[in-house]
Amino acid sequence: MAAQALAAAAFREGNHALAFPFFGAERRGAPVLAFARVDSKKIRQRTQVYKPDYVVVLDDKLMGYVDVTAGLKEGGTLVVNSPLPPEKIVTERPVKCATVDATGVALEVLGVPVTNSAILGAFAKATGQIKLESVEKGIMDIFGARLGEKGGRKNADAARKAFEKTTAGMSVGGRKFKPVKKWLPDYKELPLSLGLRVTMTEAGRVGPGSFDVNKTGSWRTFAPVLDDAKCTNCLICWFYCPDGAVVRGEKHVSVNYDYCKGCGVCVEVCAPKALKWVRTEEVEEKLPSEAIA
Amino acid sequence: MTTVKELPVQDYFTSGHTACPGCGGAMVARIAMKVFGPNTVVYHPASCMLIFSSTYPNNAFKVPFLHVLFENSAVCAAGIKRALNRLGKSDVNVVAFAGDGGTADIGLQALSGAAERNEDIIYIMYDNEAYMNTGIQRSSSTPFGAWTTTTPVGSVHAGKVEFKKDVPRIMMAHDVPYVATASIAYPTDFIKKLEKAKAKKGFRYLQVLAPCPTGWKAESSKMVELARMAVETGIWTLMEYEDGKYTVNRTPKFSPVQDYLKAQGRFKHLTPEDIKKIQDWVKSKWEKDKALEQVYK
Repeated sequence: MAAQALAAAAFREGNHALAFPFFGAERRGAPVLAFARVDSKKIRQRTQVYKPDYVVVLDDKLMGYVDVTAGLKEGGTLVVNSPLPPEKIVTERPVKCATVDATGVALEVLGVPVTNSAILGAFAKATGQIKLESVEKGIMDIFGARLGEKGGRKNADAARKAFEKTTAGMSVGGRKFKPVKKWLPDYKELPLSLGLRVTMTEAGRVGPGSFDVNKTGSWRTFAPVLDDAKCTNCLICWFYCPDGAVVRGEKHVSVNYDYCKGCGVCVEVCAPKALKWVRTEEVEEKLPSEAIA
Repeated sequence: MTTVKELPVQDYFTSGHTACPGCGGAMVARIAMKVFGPNTVVYHPASCMLIFSSTYPNNAFKVPFLHVLFENSAVCAAGIKRALNRLGKSDVNVVAFAGDGGTADIGLQALSGAAERNEDIIYIMYDNEAYMNTGIQRSSSTPFGAWTTTTPVGSVHAGKVEFKKDVPRIMMAHDVPYVATASIAYPTDFIKKLEKAKAKKGFRYLQVLAPCPTGWKAESSKMVELARMAVETGIWTLMEYEDGKYTVNRTPKFSPVQDYLKAQGRFKHLTPEDIKKIQDWVKSKWEKDKALEQVYK
């Protein structure tokens, strides 16, 4: 919806614009891609955008998994939802970077951690390619149609607030990424009727029970934090966790942040109130290094 | 009987699947697989759970897993069971997990056929009350008044006009050895029913209420609470039909239905008349349940 709203905003300034998403089989909260292509001339190209002028990252935790600057043009700008200043953002190479705590803005203005409207305000400020007024109108066009006048207005306010809070600078380079490997067997390698045993491939384990190679920890905005002393080890959180992210222990349970999607079920069912609900940024340093980088 | 603490530490439905945060269906699958254990074959029709648990070449089930088509879960599971028997592996549990669309609508004829032949399988319907995978369309298991994309809120109709289809009673009419409904909010009852289903021979049907944060438009953290409210308001009955005997496992508190409805965005348009209609439906449903208890003693 953010890409659509941006396209609508650009259209209102007399440009041609296209917006479209790309997503796999994932569910709510999973990482997704969306593209917006804007030009003063008629746009003939319909492919995904591989060499963008601007990259917008709605969740800074993703930057540990994905090289977000990989396709970014020389001199292009990166806009990141992060409470950190641009100088603290680590990317593969140093790039022009703007940051804003869009999650904070969204929680304050909308009451929910949905950052796609707020980040557009930051985009307007960081790039100077579009007026804030147009962004607000674009948001009213797209969000307003879905959420009604009042809901649209709120989202436009979030964008305005984020516009004011955006800081621009340069990111720091030097983050290393492992090359992504994919398992692409040909028809001779594939078993009959696609029936797979547990197999090691160049891209990791496949077959029954191999989904644990997929770390879903990047999905969450809030994380449960356990007060060990209060935990009575009743295991009710362990019973309910849909992601098997609560680990049993001798005296108390613990949370496996590699998989926790931050649904909050454990916090709700905890009778002794040993689990607290905290924004992920505040517990980041406690997380296992593997989960974030 | 196994308590929560006695359940195995080992998961046979692993982490890393791509369900929405707070998914009730994932809770059902994880606990069911803990009870059924490694000596199990799982069948899945097209469903939300198929998509989030098995994206080829990865799979969350740590046991042999098969998917064929949407409409033939019970038949495929029965075929697997017969093949296993033929191979001399008759101690393997064969479990079909299907959604409410794949059970109450699209899979109903295969389900009825397999039940009539009393095939030796366990069939679990995780009931999230709509076709959530394809983007929230109504199923015959969607409750009265619920908003879905195919029962939108307009000036003539607001939400679904019909009441929920009672699949457990359809299954009872097949006189199979075991029919039960469960809710994730009652762990002891849920585990007990899974164990009974595992221990029995013949066709076993279990329907579990699996709240869906996306389709029900509710807070993901409130899923267990919603599953509990559904039972306490009397909207969801915990029942068991075992070898011809019908039992209601829990007498609800009959708290007002609006507490349950209010917590979900899919019901937010309901008028006081609609809510009264649901309250009356709960009453008549309870009377039927009590009458059934008298008939099937």
